[in-house]
Amino acid sequence: MKTLRMLAALITIIVALSGRALSEDQCLTCHAGLGDKESQGYAHDIHKAKGISCAGCHGGNAQADDMDKGMDKAAGFMGVPHGDDISKACASCHSSPEKMKSFGSNLPTNQWEMLQTSVHAKLSTNGNEHIAQCITCHGVHGIVSVKDPRSPVYPLNVVKTCAQCHSNASFMRDYNPAMPVDQVEKYRTSVHGTLNAKGDPKTAECASCHGSHDIRAAKDAKSRVYGVNIPATCSGCHSDAERMKEYKIPTDQFAKFSRSVHGAALLQKHDLGAPACNDCHGNHGAAPPGVESVSKVCGTCHALNADLFSASPHKKAFDDRKLPECETCHGNHEIVAATDKLLGVSNDAVCSKCHRPDENPKGYAVAKTMKSLIDSLETASDTAASIVNDAEQKGMEVSEARFKLRDAHQARLQSRTAVHSFDEQKFRDVVSGGIAVAAVVAKEGKTAVDEYYFRRWGLGIATLIISLVLVSLYFTIRRIERRQAEK
Amino acid sequence: MNGRMKKAYDWVDERVHLEDLVKFMGKKYVPVHRHSIWYYFGGVSLFLFIIQVLTGILLLLYYKSGEELAFESIGYIMSKVQFGWLIRSIHSWAANLFILSSMVHMFSVYFEKSYRKPREITWLTGMLMFFLALAFGFSGYLLPWNELAYFATKVGTDIAGVVPIIGKPMMQFLRSGEEVSGATLSRFFGFHVAVFPGIFTVLLGIHLVLVQRQGMSEPIGMELHEGKPLKTMPFFPNFLLRDLLLWLIVLNLLAILAVFFPWELGKKADAFASAPAGIKPEWYFLFMFQTLKYIPGKMLFIDGEVFGIMIFGLAGLLWMLVPFWDLKSSRGQQNRLVNYLGLFAVFYIIILTIVGWLL
Repeated sequence: MKTLRMLAALITIIVALSGRALSEDQCLTCHAGLGDKESQGYAHDIHKAKGISCAGCHGGNAQADDMDKGMDKAAGFMGVPHGDDISKACASCHSSPEKMKSFGSNLPTNQWEMLQTSVHAKLSTNGNEHIAQCITCHGVHGIVSVKDPRSPVYPLNVVKTCAQCHSNASFMRDYNPAMPVDQVEKYRTSVHGTLNAKGDPKTAECASCHGSHDIRAAKDAKSRVYGVNIPATCSGCHSDAERMKEYKIPTDQFAKFSRSVHGAALLQKHDLGAPACNDCHGNHGAAPPGVESVSKVCGTCHALNADLFSASPHKKAFDDRKLPECETCHGNHEIVAATDKLLGVSNDAVCSKCHRPDENPKGYAVAKTMKSLIDSLETASDTAASIVNDAEQKGMEVSEARFKLRDAHQARLQSRTAVHSFDEQKFRDVVSGGIAVAAVVAKEGKTAVDEYYFRRWGLGIATLIISLVLVSLYFTIRRIERRQAEK
Repeated sequence: MNGRMKKAYDWVDERVHLEDLVKFMGKKYVPVHRHSIWYYFGGVSLFLFIIQVLTGILLLLYYKSGEELAFESIGYIMSKVQFGWLIRSIHSWAANLFILSSMVHMFSVYFEKSYRKPREITWLTGMLMFFLALAFGFSGYLLPWNELAYFATKVGTDIAGVVPIIGKPMMQFLRSGEEVSGATLSRFFGFHVAVFPGIFTVLLGIHLVLVQRQGMSEPIGMELHEGKPLKTMPFFPNFLLRDLLLWLIVLNLLAILAVFFPWELGKKADAFASAPAGIKPEWYFLFMFQTLKYIPGKMLFIDGEVFGIMIFGLAGLLWMLVPFWDLKSSRGQQNRLVNYLGLFAVFYIIILTIVGWLL
């Protein structure tokens, strides 16, 4: 009886042991034995840790210790997936909330969906598959969490991962020959790139601005880096006081930019000609412009103003005092529409910041004269416009005068540019031209208004004469008919 | 007549025998009855036509035909030429008043049956002049080459194009090509200032000679008043002075309209621009335009628009030929059918014009 009990216990142990051996990933057991790098990589793959066998992606029967049975196509074995089958294999779990939950994961399950909207979801040059698969960025047989410093999409590694294709000129030429391939080089010169290289995972890398699964072309209106969307993208970090605390930089740039003339044009009118953050700071090579280069940066759009400033006496004065050029008078993020109030010696005027009657008196006198000139032009132009409007409201034909009025308005714009020369004579020439045009327009408008009253008076007199003739005609008829009746 | 005037009169009389003309006019009498007021609309139409000729000649001194010049030249006339604004506004207003007064004249003649024997030719020449007045309006409307005129002409000639058989060639003839273009403008200008005035003058001559020759028609049943012949007044000077009085009122009205409601020039025509919303023809074509809108796409197996045009064509023809089918009136009998048809036409035109204007 005792012998029988021992036999039963032995059988139970053997069965239990053999059962355990069969439940192990037989694929990995064999391939590890072969020493291939796939099985070596998979040994520390997050999927293995979650209990997913090789068959999870490759199909087949992972429990079968017989190779033919394990890799039987009838059992669903597909071998090495190619092309879109790779991403489909990933999506079979990563797009299923139930499956992901069963592995205890709280990762989002819309990556596949988002990837389909991305520029990387376009067909590759062979026409059979999409440009990028999941493994292109996340790697394979060694995939770790994105938070793991070993992951190719970990913030400190992602630049290198993207650069594999985006810094490869011959590869990029096949898809977008016009696209630069120097983004990484520029990035390494930027504040972001420098900190990233020093091992700061909080600084912006490729995915911070472009997104990850749903990356769109910069010209796509839904892209995070489309002109209108850039300020919001940058402010995602730069308006985050907590995040910026350690960098000791302000976080009000976006709020200020939104109130600025540039922000209003870009964010409210969606004017893509207006600058976004990257137009002044650069995009991949983003950094604050240096003091001397401010006018060059602004001058990329405001070319004439920048040229006039560079040739003006202020250039040297500003450089000597280390004053940022345009910014000193106009500000930076919160640049408001420049009005004539900036000019002159009143408390609102920017000239008075440096020029006072007792300090820099020459500049003070020039600023005062220039202000007086620009005010005269404004008055002359407004007066002419008001006369033309009056004539037009009276129904007079003043299209020619209205057309000329544009020249007076143009002179006002030109004077605002000419002011950057800080040369009184040059400024006076522009203003005088505008005042002369305004005088001509005012004269034409006044002639039209006079003509209006002349027409009404003329009509009144003509009506009076016609009425008198009518009355006399009426009496003539009556006289004639009375005579005829008398006969 | 004072001494100097008498002398001048005698000087002319000696050469051209004015006395005969004065005697002729003195012998001419105009019937006086409760509908006499309508006699004056013929004179008003004549006066407005004379205004059109005079202002048209003045405009011709500055107007330049052509796609690149027409709009600009009208702008020049209105802003630079002394009293150009007045001449152009009077020409435009008088054109409309001319058509209105011609309509009133035509309907008054129709309702008084003045077309009856022996005045059939007077009626026919009058009707032809009325159609010519519409043609004057249509061709003149395009001459400023502005947006409204361009698209109204496009729509108008499109409608002409749907007439069976002759429609397409007629449209091409009117447009001087497939589309409304500078060539159309030149063609319309030629018609407006040379062809139409020439024909109109001949018809007007015949019309006036016949009116003078046959005298004013007396309404049926009014030949006798209380058993006595109708009261009359001499054409000269009584009727002519009354005519003059009315002409002066019309002249003053034109001046008021020109000063207070100067005719606008609008935007220059652009063949590539889309047609402005709510484009409408001139008011005198509005009732036909509005009718065409209401006709269904298919009527009696033919295209609705073609059907409408054919109906209007037929109605116009019947209207013009009324002296030849209204034989009762020629016999001096009342013909109520003619009155009902006339009333229907008047109300139809007024209602459809108002509807077309408002919608």
